[in-house]
Amino acid sequence: MRAQLMRRTLLSLVLGLLFLSTPAMGSCLDNYQELLGQLQKQADFMQHTSMLLDPYISIQGLDKDGLKEHCQERPGVFPSKDVLQRLSRQEFLQILNTTLGHVLHRLRTLQKDILKAQDLEKLNIAKLNIRGFKNNIHCMAQLLPGSLEKTEPTPTGPGASPSPTPISDAFQRRLEGCRFLHGYHRFMHSVGQVFREWGQSLSRSRRHSPRRGLRKGKHRTHLSSRNKRLMPRGWLPR
Amino acid sequence: MALFSAFQTTFLLALLSLKTYQSEVLSEPLSLAPESLEVSIDSARQCLHLQWSVHNLAYHQELKMVFQIEISRIKTSNVIWVENYSTTVKRNQVLRWNWESKLPLECAKHSVRMRGAVDDAQVPELRFWSNWTSWEEVDVQSSLGHDPLFVFPKDKLVEEGSNVTICYVSRSHQNNISCYLEGVRMHGEQLDPNVCVFHLKNVPFIRETGTNIYCKADQGDVIKGIVLFVSKVFEEPKDFSCETRDLKTLNCTWAPGSDAGLLTQLSQSYTLFESFSGKKTLCKHKSWCNWQVSPDSQEMYNFTLTAENYLRKRSVHLLFNLTHRVHPMAPFNVFVKNVSATNATMTWKVHSIGNYSTLLCQIELYGEGKVIQKQNVSVKVNGKHLMKKLEPSTEYAAQVRCANAHHFWKWSEWTRRNFTTAEAAPSEAPDVWRNVKSVQGHCVVTLFWKPLSKLQANGKILFYNVVLENLDRPSTLKLLSIPAPANGTELTLDRCSYQIHVTANNSVGTSPASVIAVSGDPGNKEVEEERVKGTEDGFCLSWKPQPGDVTGYVVEWCERPGDPLCDLQWKNLGPNTTSTVVSSDAFRPGVRYNFRIYGISTERIPYLLEKKTGYSQELVPSDNPQVLMSNLTSYSFTLSWKDYAAESQPGFVRGYSLYLKSKAARCLPGSEKAVLSDDSICCKYKIDNPKQKTFVVENLQPASFYEFFLTPYTSVGEGPQGAFTKVTTPDEYSHILIRIILPMIFSILLIMILCYLKSQWMKEKCYPDIPDPYKSSVLSLIKSKENPRLTIMNVKDCIPDAIEVINKQEGTRKSLTETEPTKPTYLYLLPTEKSHSGPGPCICFENFTYNQAASDSVSCGHVPVTPKAQPSQLGLLTSSENVPKALGKNYVNSLGEIPAGETNLNYVSQLASPMCGDKSSLPTNPPEPALCSEYKTQMAIPMGLASPPSITLLDEGEHDH
Repeated sequence: MRAQLMRRTLLSLVLGLLFLSTPAMGSCLDNYQELLGQLQKQADFMQHTSMLLDPYISIQGLDKDGLKEHCQERPGVFPSKDVLQRLSRQEFLQILNTTLGHVLHRLRTLQKDILKAQDLEKLNIAKLNIRGFKNNIHCMAQLLPGSLEKTEPTPTGPGASPSPTPISDAFQRRLEGCRFLHGYHRFMHSVGQVFREWGQSLSRSRRHSPRRGLRKGKHRTHLSSRNKRLMPRGWLPR
Repeated sequence: MALFSAFQTTFLLALLSLKTYQSEVLSEPLSLAPESLEVSIDSARQCLHLQWSVHNLAYHQELKMVFQIEISRIKTSNVIWVENYSTTVKRNQVLRWNWESKLPLECAKHSVRMRGAVDDAQVPELRFWSNWTSWEEVDVQSSLGHDPLFVFPKDKLVEEGSNVTICYVSRSHQNNISCYLEGVRMHGEQLDPNVCVFHLKNVPFIRETGTNIYCKADQGDVIKGIVLFVSKVFEEPKDFSCETRDLKTLNCTWAPGSDAGLLTQLSQSYTLFESFSGKKTLCKHKSWCNWQVSPDSQEMYNFTLTAENYLRKRSVHLLFNLTHRVHPMAPFNVFVKNVSATNATMTWKVHSIGNYSTLLCQIELYGEGKVIQKQNVSVKVNGKHLMKKLEPSTEYAAQVRCANAHHFWKWSEWTRRNFTTAEAAPSEAPDVWRNVKSVQGHCVVTLFWKPLSKLQANGKILFYNVVLENLDRPSTLKLLSIPAPANGTELTLDRCSYQIHVTANNSVGTSPASVIAVSGDPGNKEVEEERVKGTEDGFCLSWKPQPGDVTGYVVEWCERPGDPLCDLQWKNLGPNTTSTVVSSDAFRPGVRYNFRIYGISTERIPYLLEKKTGYSQELVPSDNPQVLMSNLTSYSFTLSWKDYAAESQPGFVRGYSLYLKSKAARCLPGSEKAVLSDDSICCKYKIDNPKQKTFVVENLQPASFYEFFLTPYTSVGEGPQGAFTKVTTPDEYSHILIRIILPMIFSILLIMILCYLKSQWMKEKCYPDIPDPYKSSVLSLIKSKENPRLTIMNVKDCIPDAIEVINKQEGTRKSLTETEPTKPTYLYLLPTEKSHSGPGPCICFENFTYNQAASDSVSCGHVPVTPKAQPSQLGLLTSSENVPKALGKNYVNSLGEIPAGETNLNYVSQLASPMCGDKSSLPTNPPEPALCSEYKTQMAIPMGLASPPSITLLDEGEHDH
């Protein structure tokens, strides 16, 4: 009963997030602040291990002492928080988009080891969530100057990402899957923090520049690269 | 010597021939040794695949050979397996042999060698082994790579309960390796310094994703493991069965066993094999498979269903005759024809199941959801069945199914049709009853009839015909047609002698008539009403059998007695019946139902026999009577509740209970102690007669407080608890007080009033007051004269009513005699009405000292006032306070001149004349005393003082002395 309730909650939340991510329906929010808020919420939601990692560990029987300690993120698979913070906004979005593309592909691989319907449902929800998030990244990239061509909206069908290196060993495969998911949740946590910093810098710039208001529409102004890193397009003066 | 030579020659020849033969034969076994031995491994299956060949066989030669194979582990001397493998060998044929190792092949180095021998009966003399081949070594470890740790076997799939051997291969000698099965450490056997083996016995099914077995080094982050996929035991198919519906296709079905319980694709396959035809088909579905019946009239079939997965193969068999497994198709072209009121014909067709086969068909007829007819019919192709004894105008459902008549296997599905029979004339007369009233000389007859049941109506009733036959004039008939669904009508007849015929009509015909007669004699003779007790099953009514011809009885009652419409009900009973039970769902507890029992004469005239009344369930009274109290005495009072309607209570009132509360500890005679619902104790009088509506409570104590409460009771209990009425009995003597003492008091008071009113008159008449001079206040003045000092007359002792102001010249002193009569001026101090302006009706007794002169000069004894008085001073005298004071001062001056001892008092009873100024009439004509006569104290004044007093009005300062 409780699991069913949780599934329903998750499903409704995902649907809500997807509904918010209007790019999936062909249009983007042009309100930077609102879009940033959505991305923050989505990242915060996706960082929870209950979305993917915890069920995976349970399904694969990795929840044993001496075994779950090895379900740790392998360095280098996902960008660290420091790396993400050092990136420009456009680069950050680009990296985020690419990484999530890989995650989607990897989830499809993991799906082969999860054939039980209720567990597949969770996995599919997570995939839908990532697709929605990627679409919002695309929309955010459109609001930032000079990055429109770099991130594309996520197609709703299965992607054509290259297959990962096959691991014939089932044990090693599930351990790697566990590590991957661990890294994924950590990565989303870092992403959420970066987005939060974006919001804080927005507040600071607002305080320092009271005349600057949020303007809707796609007004493009040439700025220095430094300013480009700081200011979203929606905030640029006329 | 020749013999020796011959023997030697023969021996040599024989030896030579033997050697030649030997050289020919023995050279063959030597060339039949296994050659080109190759060993490969299948890690997943833990198998060693051996393949070799025997080269030196003659062309087309086939020999049975046996190959002995030895397998050693770790070192060649450690042979762990020896097996002889027999087979037929052809020239250059590649021979194969597999060996499955319990131990994963990666765990240890294996070596294989073999040798062969001819095992053919054709050349039994050659049955000896060839030489061993060289050891073929299989060393998988060398190709594992450089990882520090390996665990084997990888992803092994076993069945639940199997035994599995696991090993790890460590590249480091330094680390201690620990291995775990689902977190539980395993203890193994060291195969060599780098390899440890674990034997798992009877492995359980843990989860669908497999069992995790892993090994870790004590140091470092090295962890390696395997997933052991343990499946549940593969079960064999159940309920395997085959049948045909058209003799062309066999449909075989089964129930597959439980799921293997693995997420990995442990696929199962099902194969159907028929042994007589040798045909085989791979089933596409997990639980059924179709098989095409061969056209060569094969009757017997022997099927083998094989279910197989990676680990196991299961088979079930089924042998049957095709004609015994015919499951016919459902009948088609099913019709219900020739439907009349009571009959209908059902026709259908069946699918042929052979040229000469006969089907047994079953027909069921449903009416109102139940099977009412069931029939079996043999059918070749066309079926037909006549359904009889049907009810008119009734819905039916008929269904048919068929099976093989000779070898029953299964019924076909039902084919169902609904139909409705035709209508017929109503079969029964309507049940009619009447209610007769006489209104303004006319007879108002209300006819009631019950709708016919479905079986009786035989169709939809369209109208009711009512024929009125006047019994006085038999030729006079009157017809009324009442459309359905009316269940009655009202008739107003000039006379009450009628016979009424009622019939029900549908589209087909008319029912028999129901006859009832209405007599001019209402027959409502007074019949005693009896009480009847109802039960859950209803009212059990009985009556005395009537002598004479009675065609039947009718019991009549109202289901809603309080309703004006009353919902009249009746029950017809036979002539031999003298009791019945009337039951109805409409009967409610606490409602009184009245029953009337009628006898029906041969002329169909009902006459009242008995009346019954009762409750299906009695309840306690719903309300209490309004009790009036009267005749309250010191010892009793009377209660009455004559307005109480006992008949409207939800039960027969059996009597009344009177509760009396008093301070007395004991109950009065006729009562007993009772405990009320509030646990208070009182006395209870029981009045058993329900008709008694008054009660006298006696033997009470005077001047005592009582409370009473009256409630009726039925067989169930008493009425609701109500409030007690308070009453206090009067005192025993209070009536005497009321009847005697009060009138006396009244009389005395009346007398007293009368006496008072007449007392003055009596006093005047009988004993008028004589003034007592010694009691005069003047005496006090005289006594004060004895004091040498001036005596002051206190004005307070005199109450003047007027002051006479006299003008007097200063210095002139005249005697009283010389004093000319002057017209005095009066100041009226007392509010004597009308006396100021002229003579009034008052009689004044002034207390002036009598002075003739003064009396002559001063009318009516008014005090002469000195003319010295200034107007201003007079003004002051208008104040009632100042007047006595002023007078007092004047008296002081005057009295001071009177010498002591010269006082001579004359007393005259003065009576003021009505005409105060008329002096002459005083002595001669004493006036009649007036009601308002006043007696005033007289003051005796010495003669010397009779001169007009000189009154000096003091100013205010002097007045204060």
